[in-house]
Amino acid sequence: MSPQPQAAVGAPLSRVDGRLKVTGEAQYAAEFDVDGVVHAVIVDASIGRGRIAGVDTRDAEAHPGVLRVIHHRNAPKLPYRDNPGSNNLPGRRLRVFQDDKVLFHGQPVAVVVATTLEAAQHGASLVKVDYDAEQPSTDLAEAEAGEPTKYARGDAEAGLRESAVRMDLTYRMARNHHNPMETHATIARWDGGKLTVWDKTQWVVGTQTELSTVFDVPLKSVRVINPFVGGAFGSGLRCWPHTVVAALAAREMKRPVKVVLTRRQMYFGTGFRPSYEYRLRLGSDQRGRLRATVHEMDAETSSYETFEEGVMLAGQMFYSTPNVSQAYRKVPLDVNSPIWMRGPGFANASFAIESAMDELAHRLRIDPIELRLRNEPAEDESNGLPWSTRRLRECYTVGAREFGWDRRNPKPRSRRDGDWLIGLGMAGAVYDPNNMAAKARARLNADGTAVIEAASSDMGPGTYTSQAQVAADALGLAMRAVDFRLGDSLYPQTPPHGGSMTMMCVGSATLDACDKIRRQAIKLAVEDEESPLYGAKAEDIVVRSGRLHVQGTPARGETYQRLLTRNNLSRLEADGSWAGPSDPERHSYYSYGAVFTEVGVDATLGLVRVRRMLGVYDCGRIVSPKLADSQALGGMVGGIGQALLEHTVTDHRDGRIVNADLAGYLVPVNADIPEIKAIYLEGEDMQADPLGVKGIGEIVQVGVASAIANAVFNATGRRVRELPITAEALL
Amino acid sequence: MHPFSFTKAATTREALNSGRRGGRYIAGGTTLVDLMRETVERPETLVDISDLPLREVRVTERGGLRIGALVSMSETAAHPKVRSLFPVISEALELSASAQLRNMATIGGNIMQRTRCTYFRDVTADCNKREPGSGCAAREGFNRMHAILGTSDACVATHPSDVAVAFAALEATVQLLGPDGERRVPFADFLLKPGSTPNREQAIRQGELITAVDIPALPRPLESGYLKVRDRQSYEFALTSAAVALHIRGGVIREAKVAAGGVGTVPWKLPAVEQHVIGERPSDALWKAAAEKAVQGARPLSGNRFKVDLLKRTVERQLRIVGGTR
Repeated sequence: MSPQPQAAVGAPLSRVDGRLKVTGEAQYAAEFDVDGVVHAVIVDASIGRGRIAGVDTRDAEAHPGVLRVIHHRNAPKLPYRDNPGSNNLPGRRLRVFQDDKVLFHGQPVAVVVATTLEAAQHGASLVKVDYDAEQPSTDLAEAEAGEPTKYARGDAEAGLRESAVRMDLTYRMARNHHNPMETHATIARWDGGKLTVWDKTQWVVGTQTELSTVFDVPLKSVRVINPFVGGAFGSGLRCWPHTVVAALAAREMKRPVKVVLTRRQMYFGTGFRPSYEYRLRLGSDQRGRLRATVHEMDAETSSYETFEEGVMLAGQMFYSTPNVSQAYRKVPLDVNSPIWMRGPGFANASFAIESAMDELAHRLRIDPIELRLRNEPAEDESNGLPWSTRRLRECYTVGAREFGWDRRNPKPRSRRDGDWLIGLGMAGAVYDPNNMAAKARARLNADGTAVIEAASSDMGPGTYTSQAQVAADALGLAMRAVDFRLGDSLYPQTPPHGGSMTMMCVGSATLDACDKIRRQAIKLAVEDEESPLYGAKAEDIVVRSGRLHVQGTPARGETYQRLLTRNNLSRLEADGSWAGPSDPERHSYYSYGAVFTEVGVDATLGLVRVRRMLGVYDCGRIVSPKLADSQALGGMVGGIGQALLEHTVTDHRDGRIVNADLAGYLVPVNADIPEIKAIYLEGEDMQADPLGVKGIGEIVQVGVASAIANAVFNATGRRVRELPITAEALL
Repeated sequence: MHPFSFTKAATTREALNSGRRGGRYIAGGTTLVDLMRETVERPETLVDISDLPLREVRVTERGGLRIGALVSMSETAAHPKVRSLFPVISEALELSASAQLRNMATIGGNIMQRTRCTYFRDVTADCNKREPGSGCAAREGFNRMHAILGTSDACVATHPSDVAVAFAALEATVQLLGPDGERRVPFADFLLKPGSTPNREQAIRQGELITAVDIPALPRPLESGYLKVRDRQSYEFALTSAAVALHIRGGVIREAKVAAGGVGTVPWKLPAVEQHVIGERPSDALWKAAAEKAVQGARPLSGNRFKVDLLKRTVERQLRIVGGTR
């Protein structure tokens, strides 16, 4: 952090854009009023695999208002150049309307463009597509895996053989969909060779590069705008086919085109958290010290791309284990490609690992927290690096005290409340915050206000607010004098808004830009004979409320306004940057947490209800406590969904998703959510970045599902190794 | 959504005229509009009946209830007479849908609502109910939420209503008005089991209007209530449910009305359970033995075997909640 006093950072401020959101003034992608826009509705494949034999568009085209039906037989060939450095997955990305192949149920096979949304919708229902259908393969349990990604240290098999205690456990986790409130939408407009796109995305820069490569136009000819995102949880981390459809249709029609996915289309038009089968074999000594773990993970991917996520790291670094082997197999299926979803990889790995640790604790009659403490590593055993900060022990201690862990009876079925069996469970949590280069640009105006710009995004964590807090303190301005702007590819480039990296990477770039401006102003003042600060030492000067003064002598100073005006400067400007991870890394950086929960289980009726939940987090500095709370509470709610409700169901006979709406795919409602509390360990991680932050948005979902499953075991004695935990597992 | 025309009926006569010409009645629209958006329903003409004078709840001379067809779910649930005479109706309603939906949806529409079978609602899937003769995708597909009672080779879809379970238990009557005048249909005959014609769901004729649902008087004191077992604590359909009403005098059960939901192609009346408890004294053993009879004739599917056990437990629990153990 800068030597500036902290006024905004650390203050529990409300969102600066809150009023815009609650009054409906915040404009989301589909809401931009673009002159002459026409509407497009995508026709989805109704088979799971095969070929399109014929497309009959006569009825659709005859419907009043329908302008055109575009499909593979009349669509122009698109260049689809490679797009390295994007979030596209290894493989060959789906190319819309380029051939007759159907790779998954719901793939776009045609688009109907009409003057009104209603005409386009009805037109889409009138398009007749004939198929030569083949049997799709969509069942993770039945399909062949690809080559595994492997990791090994020591000799895990030998370690297992030599272990006094051995366990062999298999966990299964359902596919989950992000289901943000705002469905994905794109408006595309071509002005000659220039393309402007209003697109729901967590990465305007990513959509920009993808469209530039798909259409083979210069990067600077594509502009992507998206100031507000109505939730995403990862669904906006890459550019999806419908965005290309919008741009393609707009070019063909020579008019702006809007595409809004339906809720149903969100289930195959965007990605998902893949289903997993996670077999974990572990060996320990009689005191619970791990000797060996063997992790075999099978996860869904599509037939055309290979999706990978950070599901291996937790098994390598969370517990001290001399012998580890891992095989992460991606199983290609006739489905659309997965994408990262909140707590990616870790939210799955932790269900297996943290459930298994609970099983081991029960078997050895050791308290689950004590077992974890016995396995705390002194360093990152995957790479030998020291931890930057790892305050997991404190998370456990504080959590146990605040939650009343000592009231837990380790014997299952020992607490009852009427028809409800009561159980307590906990789990450790870890997430690897991503770290990539970022830029920001700042401008201090002569009127004492500041504007900071970075491409970035705000899908809900409050980027507008937290970045403005950093800028306000670095510049010594009041929050209201700072305007942070984001969501435009014309602004300085930033990494994807995900992976818990925005505060660290964009925040550090913002800090850098604002520090530079403040130093420029101070230099200007101390070298300006007309300034009361003339001759003062630059390092002695601080800025508060837009006024520069000598620290300890508030009377000696002047405002930015006076300083700039006197010097005939309309503004000061600076570019800021964050370089990304240092090479080589000197420390191992992770966010940590501990989740505690109390559940009630009506064992007769198979009902699980969460009664209390507490998360304790070691995430470095908390820039914006109120926003951190909405992250933490939201993440824990997501974890409750993952644990008890969320399950995308595929009919393996034809590859269709059978619960592709919010009536069939259950997410928690208010009645499912009990009292939830989050505690953040005070402090910062100055090894991580100049702000001392480690990222919080992802880790808050990690560990929740295992804590709940462990609590269900404590309540009932029934160990459920499959998510979601539903009535049939408990009857 | 397919194009349609929309008219609003100012009088019952106007509504019946439009109905006779093929118009579909719409009131709250909470089911019909959804299904139109999915193109499952493709009516050519909608007749809005929400202005018709069918918004009254009243106690009949003998102590039963008449609930007008256009009374909303929330108004019905909150009505003091419904609450005091038949809490099972209020509870079933309040455990249904969401507050917003309950404010819009009407009693007549509620018993006309169509199944939540996901294949029925996906026009690209096979469904005999939606498209007779196309087959039933659910029978061998995802059928966790489906019926174990009253199914046929053609259809295994559950009836989704909660209040209809209470109506079935209480042996309600549906009051209909058509071009040929009024008629009354016992609730048990109103909703049709699928058989070989799952597309026919109600014993209602083209152009007929539901004007009211009548709840017959029952001997007092009457204890009643509704239990709904579901994955989510609110805003979700039943895995299983039970509506129970008991008249206990002198420590002996004199009258019993029991039906189950979430398990049948129609709300499932449980006469064997009723018979088992009538004349007996409440006890845990009685409830358990009676509940065993709830699953007579059950034919579970690949994904819902657990419902057999769960139904017994649900009925047993609700008998105990309503009847207590003395």
